[in-house]
Amino acid sequence: MNSIIEQILHNIGHLLDSCEAFLAPILPGQGIAALIAFFFYVLLLLGGGLTAVLARNLVRAMLGLVITFLGVAGMYLLLASPFLALMQLLIYIGAVCVLIFFAIMLTKNTTDGEETRCPNPINVLYAFLAALAPIVVAGPIIYLQTQTDPLQVQKIPVHTPVDSGANLGEGLLSMDLLPFELISIILLVAMAGAVFLAFKPQRSPNS
Amino acid sequence: MFLSLAVFVQIIVAVLLIIGLMVANAVAMVYMERKVAGFIQRRPGPYEVGPRGTLQAVCDSMKLLAKQIYRPGNADLILYYLAPILAFFPVLLLFLPIPFGPYLTPLPVNDGVVLILAFAGLGVLSNLLAGWGSSNKYSLLGAARAVAQTVAYEIPMILALLAVVLLSGSMDLKSITEQQGQWPWEWNVVLQPLAFFIYLISLVAETNRAPFDLPEAESELTAGFHTEYSGMGFALFFLSEYANMLLVSFVAAVFFLGGYRGPIADGFWWLFIKAYLLMFFMVWIRWTFPRVRFDQLLNLNWRWLLPLGLLNLWLTAIVTKLLV
Repeated sequence: MNSIIEQILHNIGHLLDSCEAFLAPILPGQGIAALIAFFFYVLLLLGGGLTAVLARNLVRAMLGLVITFLGVAGMYLLLASPFLALMQLLIYIGAVCVLIFFAIMLTKNTTDGEETRCPNPINVLYAFLAALAPIVVAGPIIYLQTQTDPLQVQKIPVHTPVDSGANLGEGLLSMDLLPFELISIILLVAMAGAVFLAFKPQRSPNS
Repeated sequence: MFLSLAVFVQIIVAVLLIIGLMVANAVAMVYMERKVAGFIQRRPGPYEVGPRGTLQAVCDSMKLLAKQIYRPGNADLILYYLAPILAFFPVLLLFLPIPFGPYLTPLPVNDGVVLILAFAGLGVLSNLLAGWGSSNKYSLLGAARAVAQTVAYEIPMILALLAVVLLSGSMDLKSITEQQGQWPWEWNVVLQPLAFFIYLISLVAETNRAPFDLPEAESELTAGFHTEYSGMGFALFFLSEYANMLLVSFVAAVFFLGGYRGPIADGFWWLFIKAYLLMFFMVWIRWTFPRVRFDQLLNLNWRWLLPLGLLNLWLTAIVTKLLV
């Protein structure tokens, strides 16, 4: 019995070691505190995400989304870019979630919509397949990178030092100008599309 | 690094002091508000308890502590209890980057402005959850108004602050303070009068105070989003509302009125004097102007403050680019 527990503890220790080895290049010199923070944020992300997907009540689902965004902001903090973390809070929680909430309150029947019924099993299957997609896409890359040389992870091209607003602005307006402008075009198109979909030509009250 | 023990202890001490400040501020502001209201409406205000009624607010807070918490039977329990907590705790964080004195910043942050704006967004979320969780039509209406109002007035507020950030080239509250001089004509309000004006209007709207207190308009909505809260649930909303007032006044003082800088000697006393003068201003207009209608409120923002803020930001950008 004791040997089994020892084996399990050993395995957990091994798992933590390999996590630390994987995180070491991303989080230099932070050690165990960063590891605890990392797992806390992972917990927030997974818990919030599951709440957002599984909640039967739209408002609780939105609360799950808020928790997920908090986790994402925490991950940005761990990656040593506090500016991005704060922007995540400002834009996604302060604006996006609040607007979603506004939309929920403007619609009727928030407590007996499609999401309150038991979901179709086929849809559940599809949802699990979709959830596996990141593992399929990113998993092999991460596995190969860490197998060959843990320091390889560093070589993912992050060419702008994003530790302050000034650096970020310079990067966006020099090196990454094209993607930056393309993203704003996407936003413009999305906005125009939303207006087009929502717009109903108004008849004058006389006719 | 950022998790050293000294910084940790510093943050703990700062948070404890801030809680003390929040409570003292609420008690003092309740007394000031009732006295000023009485003076404006030609009645004495509280005068029975203590000398000139000074102990009235203390008695009120004792009553609030001892009150039973009623909750509506069909409330969404998680959201109902989460909302006051969510209203109270982010406010503690908001005071951390404020430079109270030349050597007195609880937590120096490079992006202090962004931190304040980011965590202030959680406040409106708590109003929403309170309004929704109580499952009461008045609460829900109050919450809906809170969203429309706060989301709208956040934009001119950020634009006004951004103009000052452009001017001083920094988002650190301490260096913004340091770039202003000791005398009133060296403060940013002289260079950015329009931004200060926009900020003054939007801070009244952001803190949901009259004449923009539509989320809790008591004559139409009982008490708006906190109708169903009693005892400490209400007390937490109340504390965070007054703390938010103090916070926006601090930010206004730092950005436009020279922060802790002032004639003769720099120090936290100047910051507090300026902040409480602004608070007095907010109380003053609350008891002077009638509540606006909702369409007036939104028209004022989208038709006037937002274009003016954009224009001001644009002019500031051009002028700073030409002169620097």
